[in-house]
Amino acid sequence: MSNKRKLNDIFYQFITYISALISVLALSSIFMFVFIKGSSLLDFGLLFNDYHEKYYNGGFNGDIDFSLTPEPDNLEANEFYSSMWGIALKDAKDREGNAIIIVSYISKDSPFSNMYDKNSVDIESSIVIKEGNIVSKISYYDKPTSLTRYGAELMIKDLDTVTDIREVVYTSLGGGIRGSLLTTLFIIGLTLVLALPMGIFTAIYLNEFAKKNKITNLIRSLIETLTGVPSIIYGLMGLAVFVPFTIAITKADSANLISGSMTLAVILLPIIIRSTEESLKVIPDDLRTASLALGANKTQTTFRAVLPSAYPGIVTATLLAVGRIIGESAALIFAIGTAIKDDVSIFGRSTTLSVHIWSLMKDEPANIELASTIALIILIIVLALNILVKLVSKKFITKIV
Amino acid sequence: MDNIFSIKDLDLYYGNFQALKSISLDIDRNKVTALIGPSGCGKSTFLRCLNRMNDLIENCKIEGKIQYSQMDIQTKSFNVIELRTKVGMVFQKPNPFPMSIYDNVAYGPRCSGIKKKSELDVIVEKALKRAALYEEVSSRLKDNALGLSGGQQQRLCIARAIAMEPDVILMDEPTSALDPIATLKIEELINDLKRNYTIVIVTHNMQQAARISDKTAFFLMGELIEIDSTDKIFTQPKNKKTEDYITGRFG
Amino acid sequence: MEKTLECFKRILGKSKKENIDILIRGIFGISALISASVIIIIIIFITIKGVTPFISYNQGLGQVNIFRFLTGRVWLDGAAFSSSLYGVGFIIINTVYIALLSLMISMPIGVLTALFIAKVAPQRLSIFLRTVVELLSAIPSIVYGLFGSGVILVLVYNFAELVGIQSKGGNSVIATVLVLSLMSLPTITAISEVAIRSVGKDIELGSLALGATKTQTNFKVVLASAKSGIFASAILGVGRALGEATAVSLVAGNSKSGPSLGLFDITSTLTSTMLEGLKETTGLDYDIRFSVGIVLMIVILLTNIILNYVKRKVGSVSVK
Repeated sequence: MSNKRKLNDIFYQFITYISALISVLALSSIFMFVFIKGSSLLDFGLLFNDYHEKYYNGGFNGDIDFSLTPEPDNLEANEFYSSMWGIALKDAKDREGNAIIIVSYISKDSPFSNMYDKNSVDIESSIVIKEGNIVSKISYYDKPTSLTRYGAELMIKDLDTVTDIREVVYTSLGGGIRGSLLTTLFIIGLTLVLALPMGIFTAIYLNEFAKKNKITNLIRSLIETLTGVPSIIYGLMGLAVFVPFTIAITKADSANLISGSMTLAVILLPIIIRSTEESLKVIPDDLRTASLALGANKTQTTFRAVLPSAYPGIVTATLLAVGRIIGESAALIFAIGTAIKDDVSIFGRSTTLSVHIWSLMKDEPANIELASTIALIILIIVLALNILVKLVSKKFITKIV
Repeated sequence: MDNIFSIKDLDLYYGNFQALKSISLDIDRNKVTALIGPSGCGKSTFLRCLNRMNDLIENCKIEGKIQYSQMDIQTKSFNVIELRTKVGMVFQKPNPFPMSIYDNVAYGPRCSGIKKKSELDVIVEKALKRAALYEEVSSRLKDNALGLSGGQQQRLCIARAIAMEPDVILMDEPTSALDPIATLKIEELINDLKRNYTIVIVTHNMQQAARISDKTAFFLMGELIEIDSTDKIFTQPKNKKTEDYITGRFG
Repeated sequence: MEKTLECFKRILGKSKKENIDILIRGIFGISALISASVIIIIIIFITIKGVTPFISYNQGLGQVNIFRFLTGRVWLDGAAFSSSLYGVGFIIINTVYIALLSLMISMPIGVLTALFIAKVAPQRLSIFLRTVVELLSAIPSIVYGLFGSGVILVLVYNFAELVGIQSKGGNSVIATVLVLSLMSLPTITAISEVAIRSVGKDIELGSLALGATKTQTNFKVVLASAKSGIFASAILGVGRALGEATAVSLVAGNSKSGPSLGLFDITSTLTSTMLEGLKETTGLDYDIRFSVGIVLMIVILLTNIILNYVKRKVGSVSVK
């Protein structure tokens, strides 16, 4: 009997341990995956680069003024320099892992700083090669073309032997997330501007002004219902309500950042209201009576005596809201669209970081590396926000007690 | 005789429960009036009628007449906020705002529209001096008020009420949360203040009532049993119930 | 005397401060009304849009038969739009099937993990685990989707190959179920943990005093007492699983017909269907997504009602 009981105990303990272990392993593997896949591409350039590469075809008119700049001393061993053309090239890999030749240095008087744009009808148009551009091909009048696959060293050698060039084909480096980052920041700003006052005012009304009656309860439960609505339904609402609305009153002619922010603002409302209300509830009624007994009116009492003590709660609400904005994807796919843009306008479509991930994963073939890098950035931000929330509420608790 | 408050047939209900029954009494200007009685006898409720703090309680219904300087304060159009600047209040538990000492005292004046720093400086200093707190805190006016001791906090609350230049200060058991030394200081302060202010104080402590008040009113079960000069109440009360209470037979 | 007179005037006059109060109260009250009316706006607009396909002729494509829509076993399997091509019957079954399967995985693991954190683990470890769980529940769903796409699809694909089944790049019922269970795991764990921790010490001591072992107490008394909190976590978990869109759309495989009951079949849920293939901005193919939205809301509502009913039934025999 006792033996059986012991076995039973061991069995139950075992499944408890195993479950906890599975949870921890499964969930930490998410971190590991994102970190391993994403960290290889993570650098500051990524944050400021365009996503779409731009193609240029440059050519020369008439005589070329050759560069007189000698080789700068700070070049590394893998950078090859042509003093005649004033340009240094090196071999590199792009964000998809393909070999490329990248411009690592270009002197001010390089002939490449003054070319005409072969794609433009305007003969006077001039384009320049910048550091960080990718040279994919240089073709000459009397020599075989230099290509990426022969490497940077050979391309420089070829350059040194010629005095004229038929065409330089180069691109700006793509695969960056500047547009999405900018969109995310815009959206955070716009959404908070819309949702914070609305949410905070509502919370103040419910907690400080409203009488305890059926109407107040109804308002509360209607707002509470919002928390159970899946975000894709909010997306539909954005599509049906906010997109036509913004098209009607702004110069936008499609889904846009404003309609997206309005949709997010609705998603955030219940979060902000609840969190603000909770922080208002903790404030002892003593403070309110003391203020009223001094001849302050309700408004003064709320703004001068109550809100200053409630601000950590509001900060918490804001931080949680920012986290939610950064993470939201389904609602925004409907309310702003999925087109990744480099030139962001609040009246046009573009993607936040989360939707950028979704678009990358929906592409054929999916770009998991870049998606993971963005996910890593999102994770870092979200975790930082959560730690901040913990710090703020810790401070809040010690202050009240 | 100069009455600052005159109350006639005051009934007060919390929902169906009648908390005050037909109270009639006058309160003298620039005197200390003590309200005594066992817990739940309605003395605090009565005190809160005088600056209409009962408005904040839902289901609270008041009938009868309360006159402050010959004005009926129960009428709907009466300006409650202005009344509360004239009739200040100090609560049982010291309840300073979680802000600096200076801001606590300047809170009321700021709410009534005084913005000039120089003006506020004068008011704050004067109020703190009158509340006998200035010496102790003059060097740390910008510190958080929650850092003060309980007794200091309560004197700060008194200073906060004084800063509004009220006629009357209502005190709801102001020393019940304090130790004996802090209590003594507050009592000294009350003695000082009565030259300039009318004070109505609710107290549990009969010795305290005897020490500081000019008049004492005894409440029991929502009724006013007796009001008279403090000496008379404590030496030769007219009512048997009053005698029983002050000799400690109940309560 | 003059001073008293002035005092009279101030007290009897209409006060600016009270007017400000009325104004502010009005502004804040309007905010509250707007906040409360959002849910009503959502319901009205989605209903209007979602009902259109059934009552209009959809610009010549013909009226959609609501019975056929609700019971249909094919969703637009082809390039041309037609009113007869939309059916969500199989998708409803897929959605509920996947949500329940994922609950069957995340529920036991989540609750047992919660028990471990609340009662078994040493204090330091439990604080650490609690923090980890909290942080994990803050991870956006798109990251779970990415993980599903990058890891779970590969694992499923390889496993399927091992047992001799050809899967479509791993996109399958089981992949979706795994992603959703992972996603709801932190939520279920966190809420259950709170419920378990709030079980009174006296109940536990009562059981121990009767000679039960610690483990028996945990399983027979503590879990039973925390039942209603644990159930609440399940309701939230299912809600999340039913409503999740982007993560699911990355691993489901977007089947056009079904229902898909086999674990390695590709599948589609109401949410993934709403996201997939949205090309038009007006017309039937656009409006019908709102109809799917209505169906989704009703499915969530019904599931909640059923689970709450079960919760009350189960909760009534609780030891509490």
